[in-house]
Amino acid sequence: MSTSSPKGPYPWETANPFASGLLAWLIPGAGHFYQGRTVKGIIYLVCIWGLYFGGLRMGEGQVVYQKPKSQANGSRISLSLAAQLGVGFPTVLAFIQTKRYSSDDNRPVGYLEHPLKTDFEGILLGKGPGHADGAGRLIGTIELASSDIGVIWETRGKFVGTLDGKPIELPLSGSLELERPIAGGMRRQLRISVAPSPSEHPHLQQSIRGSIPRSFVDGFLAPPDPESLRELNFRLAKTYDLALVFTWIAGLLNVLAIWDCVQGPAYGIGDEDEKPSEAPAGTPPPPAPLEPTSPAPQESR
Amino acid sequence: MPIWLLATTNVTWYLLPLAMVVSLVYSASRFERTEKILRRGFRLFLQILGLMFAVLALLWLFSLNL
Repeated sequence: MSTSSPKGPYPWETANPFASGLLAWLIPGAGHFYQGRTVKGIIYLVCIWGLYFGGLRMGEGQVVYQKPKSQANGSRISLSLAAQLGVGFPTVLAFIQTKRYSSDDNRPVGYLEHPLKTDFEGILLGKGPGHADGAGRLIGTIELASSDIGVIWETRGKFVGTLDGKPIELPLSGSLELERPIAGGMRRQLRISVAPSPSEHPHLQQSIRGSIPRSFVDGFLAPPDPESLRELNFRLAKTYDLALVFTWIAGLLNVLAIWDCVQGPAYGIGDEDEKPSEAPAGTPPPPAPLEPTSPAPQESR
Repeated sequence: MPIWLLATTNVTWYLLPLAMVVSLVYSASRFERTEKILRRGFRLFLQILGLMFAVLALLWLFSLNL
């Protein structure tokens, strides 16, 4: 603790405690850098941020978020978020992202105001005669554009890429289902029908379902849609829970770092003395070593 | 097999970095001298691993006749 010492004053005693604490909360180790305690700052930064962002990556960016008002039952700051709040700066961003997520403009997209050309990963789904069982894996590029055809909007375009490793080009047409622009995760779900082809059976219905990239600004620490969260839980299983635990522990460990930054190390300033050194003035002298309890050897007669 | 691929087969491997980080940060919050932080951190890391292996061994013993 921060008791004055003959070796003081120490960095945590001379630095502004409020600024140190705030910096340490915002970025682990930043308060220690501010005080000139560089090695400890590096230890905290690498360990706590490594754990926090490692967990975030394991959970595909969907483990730190604040529930929007529409999805919250009771308090909007869950115990999970409370633990993660120990790491200040990134977690505070989650509040800003929730505000953006909840805006009226952020809703699922049924038509495109501008043409879209981007990477696509997903599956080809089919229903009806002539469709082989099982979904094929699609990887490639998708091009889409919407047009107003009177009462409704129609989206047309094409997918160019591979289906289970074989080159394929699919004409696309129909109603578009595209996930809202701002939501958790770096991929955005998309679904659209494949245009009927004269060479296929007339009753065959095909569609593609998958995802396109989402910008970092729109996906980082934003609340995920409940459906994509369920899908993520199903896919990652235990790894998702572990990712949560990593971020919780990182947040809680930073509480120790903040404490150390403001008050000094818990065992105080004595740890630099491996050997007993001269005691400060006014300190009672250490007790004298005990006398041996075994009886003194008797003199031989 | 690269060591990071081990983590894809069993999530228990994530215990190692987790225990290391907890040990280091805990020790850093106790002590000021770098050498002491590292030494005590390593000791705590071994203690955590030892405890976990002891629990693992105990559970394994209990499950022998199941």
